[in-house]
Parts: sequence; structure tokens; C-alpha cells
Amino acid sequence: MEVSAQGVTQQNTANVATSPKYKDQTKRRGFGFDKIILTLVLLYLLIPLGATFIFSINDGKNFGLSSFQSIINDADFITTFPFSIELAIATTILMVILITPTAYWIQMRLPQARPIMDFLTLVPFGVPAIVMAFGLIQVYGSPNTLVSVLSLGLVPFLSNQLNVVNTPPLLICAYVIIALPFTYRPIDNNLRAINTRVLTEASYSLGSGWWRTFLTVVIPNIWPGIISAALLTFATVMGEFTIASLFSIYTFPIYLDVTGQNDAHKAAALTILSFTITLICVLGIILLIRLRPGGAGKDSQIEIGAAK
Amino acid sequence: MAFLELENISKYFGRNAAVEQINLSVERGEFLTLLGPSGCGKTTILRMIAGFETPSEGNILLDGEDITNRAASKRPMGMVFQAYALFPHMTAEQNIAFGLSIQHKPKDFIKRRCAELLELVGLSDKGDSFPHQLSGGQQQRVALARALAVEPKVLLLDEPLSALDAKVRVSLRNEIRRVQQQLKMTAIYVTHDQEEALAISDRIAVMAKGHIEQLDHPEEIYSNPRTVFSASFVGSSNQFRGILESAQDGLFQAGDFLLSVPPQQDLKDGQQVMVLVRPEEMSISPTTESEASLDHNTRNHINGVIELRTFLGPFTRFHIHVNEQLTLTADIPSQQTRDYFVAQHIVLSFSPKDCQVLPLDSNESSLVKLAERETV
Repeated sequence: MEVSAQGVTQQNTANVATSPKYKDQTKRRGFGFDKIILTLVLLYLLIPLGATFIFSINDGKNFGLSSFQSIINDADFITTFPFSIELAIATTILMVILITPTAYWIQMRLPQARPIMDFLTLVPFGVPAIVMAFGLIQVYGSPNTLVSVLSLGLVPFLSNQLNVVNTPPLLICAYVIIALPFTYRPIDNNLRAINTRVLTEASYSLGSGWWRTFLTVVIPNIWPGIISAALLTFATVMGEFTIASLFSIYTFPIYLDVTGQNDAHKAAALTILSFTITLICVLGIILLIRLRPGGAGKDSQIEIGAAK
Repeated sequence: MAFLELENISKYFGRNAAVEQINLSVERGEFLTLLGPSGCGKTTILRMIAGFETPSEGNILLDGEDITNRAASKRPMGMVFQAYALFPHMTAEQNIAFGLSIQHKPKDFIKRRCAELLELVGLSDKGDSFPHQLSGGQQQRVALARALAVEPKVLLLDEPLSALDAKVRVSLRNEIRRVQQQLKMTAIYVTHDQEEALAISDRIAVMAKGHIEQLDHPEEIYSNPRTVFSASFVGSSNQFRGILESAQDGLFQAGDFLLSVPPQQDLKDGQQVMVLVRPEEMSISPTTESEASLDHNTRNHINGVIELRTFLGPFTRFHIHVNEQLTLTADIPSQQTRDYFVAQHIVLSFSPKDCQVLPLDSNESSLVKLAERETV
């Protein structure tokens, strides 16, 4: 963290270093104010994390990794954690497969539908997860005639034939809706930033069809947006509690809640564990984007902040 | 039959007609430019030829084959865009190879062809560079090479030089012309820059409000414009609006001026016309202050005062104040302008044969305004 603080200060100084008149002034001001602010922000972020970590390795008397050991040996952890990862991966894949071509299609052929999509992507923010969970249980649990007609028979088929109520597949579908704002926006922003229409037309004029253009021209250029979307979807699913709880599906966040009520040290250790996993994911993804061909350019930033 | 034919092409966006009843024939190996102000429909025509827009009416024939409804990816056209449109994640060489790999050409053929094309556009050492590592001019050269790689039957260029600075623009336009002539490629070029159009084209279609005003060789467009819009849009001109007193004798009255113009066979006496004289056809000579009044205006000799003098290298442009409504422009070779200064009284003269007489109706008037706005 110290390294990044120094990096920022050095960059600021370098930008104005060309003007000798301001050199000393900037150095003096830059040394004090920037670093104080940065240190305060870092403390604000790191102190709770540090405290949690210390709490996790201290059982009140001794320091040790006993909490971590008990987690790793806990049968519930062994079942819920991989299960939540599976849910997150499935949701992410479904999300990217559904949203990326849709956003591209809207950008190219249906720009007038963009306001509708903008509204739809905000709906999950407006509708609380608990309302959505009860809605899903109500619709799929006991579908009435109106719902059957409006869904062209799909809802009764899913609920009666496939028994989707309170099952992981329906949970994944619900997660897709919840994560919609985090997925659509980064992808749409990227599509707007790369001049999609002209690139597509250039590709067409070279003999490429729709799918080949989408896969070989569009996708590689909106890769940062897709990675952001995937990361945010993954993180949302890994932390989602309400719907899983109402569906009575035992996922990692529910395990976290149950453990927290029984053993606070263990819960702290779990928090540190999930934070570390997330950190590794983020660093890995950033590295992936940096390493892609031509990716050192200005468009290779992850839009996590913007989407959140 | 011409190589590429547009038959009665119209395109409507909602109720607005972008182009209407366009008929255009392009010969094999010809360089045709669509020239006009923004919104005249020139890009729409190009996009319909490329297959990005479908005509509302009419047919497009290529080599005798109707391609009106064929998908863009199935048309043998290469396109160069204003915004370069290089694929940012591919190197220059990969960009050029893109179309060839779609055609499933062998790898060594693709490599050889890329090297040839990079050499053709003078970028042999830039094959491994990504677009963001190249200048605007270099990117457009790569885009040109990429469009040529698939050996298109027609090369379409949509204002390819607009985003470049003046010097690169001139060198690259010469290069485009050289490459086109070297490959004997049929090319359709869209621009709003008349100088570019005059310099590069075999023929020019001057367009306004969705119609072709004149289709001719550059020299003809400049020297013998058929419509007031063509005359006003291409090159600068001095304009006199008035009445043709005698079509047979070539007499034209504009306010206080009586001008001699070439005899007109197609026009009638008393008809509203516009007379245009190019600034370079004007000559100036000094006059004394006592002579310098309206009474001394004789046919094709007009008294005025130099208002502004602008040195433009080979020639100097004089803005000459004649009266409150009229200021004329004269381009005089710079070596003949040493004795002239601002506020000097001079007499402007021009030969009747250098006057172009064009009929003027209400529609033409609105087009003149459009041309003036676009050429300022």
C-alpha cells in the first residue's frame, strides 16, 4: 500500500515538473496534503480489516490459527463454500451470455430501446430482494391462470413439470436479475466507448458476418467491461443472503450468518478468508486484462467503482 | 453497361428523403467523388452501395448483377472510414489479415499479401504496431491496406481524410490516388472538401439536398458549372444577381451595372439570372480619385476601393468594396500586386467570356445560401 501512495505522489510531481517555477511549491504541498489524505483513507479501510484479522487469530487467551483450522474441517463450510462458488459461476456465465449479445444488439439495431434497458437495469435496485423472493415463490409456487397465460404456459411448465420452486436453478435466475445493473452498465459503457457501429461495419465490409464480428471484433474490445460485469456478478452472488434464505437453500452467506451467531472468532476468520479470495480474484482479473494484446491502452480499466 | 449502376435510388428516413431518384453510373477503374455539404445524402449513397443501408426504392447493379438486397458482408466492397475503424486489439498486420483469414486463405499467402500491402502504403516497418501506437495518417494507411487486402471490386472511401491535419491530408490523398491508379481500382470517394475532390477525381458528382446537381469531370465542374449551386459550392466566385436584358446580345443588368456576358441561347430576355465570375478571372488597374465614381462604371469595368489584401503565396486576394451591397474578390498573381494597397481606388475588369450565366429560381436561391454557408 505504501508503494501505491508513493506512486501517486511521484506522478503528480512529474506532471508539473516541466514548469520549474512551480516545482518547489508543488513538492512542498504534495508532500503533506496528499499523503495525509491517502493515509487517512487507507487507515479507514485497513483498521476494520486488521481488527477482524486479529480477532480471528485470537480466541481471547492465545494467538493461533485454530479458527481457520476449525473452518477448514467444518462439514458445512466444505459443502456451502463450493456450492456458492458453483452458483456464482453459473450466474456469471448465464449473465454474460444473456447480456453481452443483448447490449450489442441494442447498440447496433435498437438504440431507441436503450432508455427501456436503462430503466429495467435500475429496477433491481428499487425492488427489495425480499419482495422479489416472495414474488418468485408466489408465481412459481402456485401459478394462477393469468400468470400461465401471460407466460405462454412457461411458468406452469417450470413449476409443475420441472419443480423449479426453491431450487438452485431458480435461485440462479433470481441472481441474474439482482446482478443486472452491475452487468449491463459496464458492458454498455464499453460498447459506447469503442465506436461499436463503425468497427462492426468495418468487419462486415471485410466479409465477416454477425457472429464472427461479435466474437472476434466486439468481445475482445469490450473485455474489460465483461470482466467487470463478471466480477461484480460473482461478488453479488457470493454475498447474497435474503433470497437464498427465503428459498431455504443453504449457501455460504447463510453459513456465515449461522456461524457468526455461534462463534464470533470463526466468523471473523471466515470474513478474512472470503476477503482474501476476493482479493486474489480481483488481482488475477486485473493481470488478465493488462496482459491481453493491445490492452496496455487507456481503455483497460475495470469499471467496478462506476457500476457500484 | 457501366460497372456499377445506381438506378432510381431513393432513401427515406421516416418522412425525410435523404436521397431521391439518384441515377449514377461508375465505369471500371474510375475514381468518382460524391461532393456536397453535410446532409446532402452523399454518405447515404455510399452506405447503400456498401450494404449498410437498404434503398427505399431503386436498384444497385454491380457488373450487371443486382446487389440491392445483398448483405454487406457478401458484397465485394472495401471500405475506408473517416474514423479509421481499425480493430484496436489487433496489430496493423492482423488488421490487414482479418479479411483474408475470413476467406480462409493459406497462412503463407496472408503473410505475403500483408507484407505487399504494408509496402504499398509505405508502412513496412509498422506491421507489429497496434493502432494506438500509430499516427492518424498511418492508421488510415493501414485502413486503406486492410480494405484493399480482400481485393474488392469497388473501394469506398467515406471522408477518409477529414480527421487528419492539412499536410497529411494532401500527402495521403495523393497516395490514395496513386494506389487507386496503380491497382486500376474502381473507387467512390465521399467528401465535402471541394479542393480534395478536384484534385483526386476522374469525375465528380456535386450533390445538394439529396440530388445530384452536376456530374462531370473536375475541369468542367469548375469551368462550366451547370447549376448555381455547383458554381457556388465549387471554388469561390463573384456573384451578380439581376435580369438578362438581352439573351441574344449577352446583356445583363444588375442594379447599376450593365455587364456584357456571352450570348445565351437557352435563356429568355427578362429572365432572372445569376452571373458568376471567378476571382482569378478578374484583373485590377489603378485609377485616379476623380474617375472613381459609379458614373465611370462601363461594361465589365467596375470601380472600387481595396478593402483587404491577403497574401496567399502564388497569388494575392483583394477584397474590393464597390458599394454597400457589393464587395468583389480578385485573385491577382502576387508578382503583379506590389503597387496596390488598402484604401486605393482601382478599377476591376473582366472579359465577357469569363462570365457564367445561370438561371435563378427560388429553389436555386436557397441552394446558393446553403453553398455559401458551407464554403465560408
